[in-house]
Amino acid sequence: MRTYILKRLLQIIPTILMITFVVFVMMRSIPGDPVVALLGDAYTEENAIKARHEYGLDKPVMVQYFIWLGKLAQGDWGSSILSGRPVLKDVMLRLPVTLELIVLSMAVALAIAIPAAIIGALRQNTWADYTATSVAMIGVSIPEFFLGVLLLLVFSVGLGGMLPSSGWVYLPGTCQTVVCAAGLWGNTQHVLMPAVALGVGRAALLTRLLRASMLEVIRTEYVTTARAKGLAERPVILKHALKNALIPTVTVMGLQVGFLIGGAIVVETLFAMPGLGTFGIDAIIARDYQQVQGFALITALAFVFINLLVDLTYTFLDPRIRYA
Amino acid sequence: MTDNRKPRTVSRPIAGGSTQEAELPSSEVAWRARVEPSESPFAMGLRRLRKSTTALIGAAIVALLLLVSIFADVLAPQSPIASDQSHTFERPSRDYPFGTDQLGRDMLSRIIHGSRISLAVGVSSVLLALFVGVPFGMIAGYYGGRVDSVIMRVMDLILAFPIYLLAIILMVIFAPTAGLIGTMKVTGAIAIVRIPIYARLVRGSVLSIKEKEYIEACRAVGVRDWKILLRHVLPNCLAPIIVTTTLGIATSIIVEATLSFLGLGTQPPTPSWGWDLKANVAFIQSNPWISLFPGLAIFVTVLGFNLFGDGLRDALDPRLK
Repeated sequence: MRTYILKRLLQIIPTILMITFVVFVMMRSIPGDPVVALLGDAYTEENAIKARHEYGLDKPVMVQYFIWLGKLAQGDWGSSILSGRPVLKDVMLRLPVTLELIVLSMAVALAIAIPAAIIGALRQNTWADYTATSVAMIGVSIPEFFLGVLLLLVFSVGLGGMLPSSGWVYLPGTCQTVVCAAGLWGNTQHVLMPAVALGVGRAALLTRLLRASMLEVIRTEYVTTARAKGLAERPVILKHALKNALIPTVTVMGLQVGFLIGGAIVVETLFAMPGLGTFGIDAIIARDYQQVQGFALITALAFVFINLLVDLTYTFLDPRIRYA
Repeated sequence: MTDNRKPRTVSRPIAGGSTQEAELPSSEVAWRARVEPSESPFAMGLRRLRKSTTALIGAAIVALLLLVSIFADVLAPQSPIASDQSHTFERPSRDYPFGTDQLGRDMLSRIIHGSRISLAVGVSSVLLALFVGVPFGMIAGYYGGRVDSVIMRVMDLILAFPIYLLAIILMVIFAPTAGLIGTMKVTGAIAIVRIPIYARLVRGSVLSIKEKEYIEACRAVGVRDWKILLRHVLPNCLAPIIVTTTLGIATSIIVEATLSFLGLGTQPPTPSWGWDLKANVAFIQSNPWISLFPGLAIFVTVLGFNLFGDGLRDALDPRLK
């Protein structure tokens, strides 16, 4: 097991190199460069050349990439061209926000999907099943930002501003600077709507998938055996059927990470949250190369780690799956 | 024993037939076979599709949207881009059923015209991805070996990216603009990120089809490769392609709306639902309805394609026959 995890961790390196390299080249193929935005009114041809030299932007792209990589190996993620702040520090400041959003939205998704799928599968073709599947269909079709707007309309506009429409209060202990507000209640208020907006779409998708695999699993012989030997319905469903039905669902959850990152960009933009999504989109639009690289790197890392986590979850769900 | 005298009434299973069939006199079996010729898979699919209520609702929504986008010029009561400073932020009324935005533009007309962008991008990006992805997938699956690994590694490279990250960077590279060119840029960006989905899907089907005996028979009589691929392999992997395409349009419409929402879709003044939603969220406290309608439009469109695609899947899935 340990060698397997080590091997997988080593495989991360080529993936990370590939993603960061492609992003590096793509960003530099965008017409225009950050120097224009950096200098603003002070822009002259002479100043621009000086600034480009200062940031190493006049070197060939490959050379620039290897310089970036060399610094990365020493733990230096570079500094934002526009704000001048170290990228790693900004990423670390924003990571807890996005992490909290994604973990909670996944929790929302599972909290809806598992009961809905079990009801749908056990009462197949009854009104309960039809309700569950219709709601899931609606959930799949509703974009995160529209659900977010609906939530805003109800909880921020309609119910007298019950929940705040934008901004952020940090979870106690996650704020590294002195100036930010932190508090459990404030944090809960701020994270509730974004997490639901992001989670419901996933919930719908997982419900459909889990219902289908539950339907397959409850017709297998070992479920019949479990029932025949007098086991109560609850353990039959929760311990025997659900665990096995979860395997394909977990795979899809891993594949959903890409969508979750995109969803985080949208939801964070809508609710004006200081997370990695807004960090990334701002950087891409401003062509802040170093900041984009930082975003691509953290995204790629998240992508690979979550897929590793997915593979390790299989061993828990099905002990026959072993990684030597 | 009656059984000995009338052996034909004994229902016993015969290999390859049902017990009921065994009970019938042989002539009747033959007669039945004559009047009920085996249905083609597509006729069967169509018959099953007509029975599915959800698929019909989906098809109706899609058809309605197509009509709205085709006749947008006739249906829209006003110009979608003409601003009227004396009628900004009108509440929904008889003159302005969906109200007006901060420039006094009629929201109903903007939503009617916005359907063109959503449908055009949704359908054409999927078709574009299809026309690139399907041939690549067929070649990779059919020839295997080095061709396969080169094509599929490139596809894996695209798939390794979180879809929105790639689409966003592509749109920044393409520099979003208004009008037809702007729409084509969005279409291209979405098509690129979706090519690998079709390539993988088709490759998978081709891998199993190419081992079938009828393909071997084709090769044995000397049919050329491209003819085998087009006439014998492609028709047999159409069902999953059709289903994925319909559901893919729904996804593409969401991606287009998301890009527009982030300010990277077709630029104003071209009316786009995602952009309208985003532009009006800023005024949500005082004018809640104006971001509601563009969002509803996106939702209904995506729902329509999803319902239709779901019905198609149930109708075309051979396992459900």
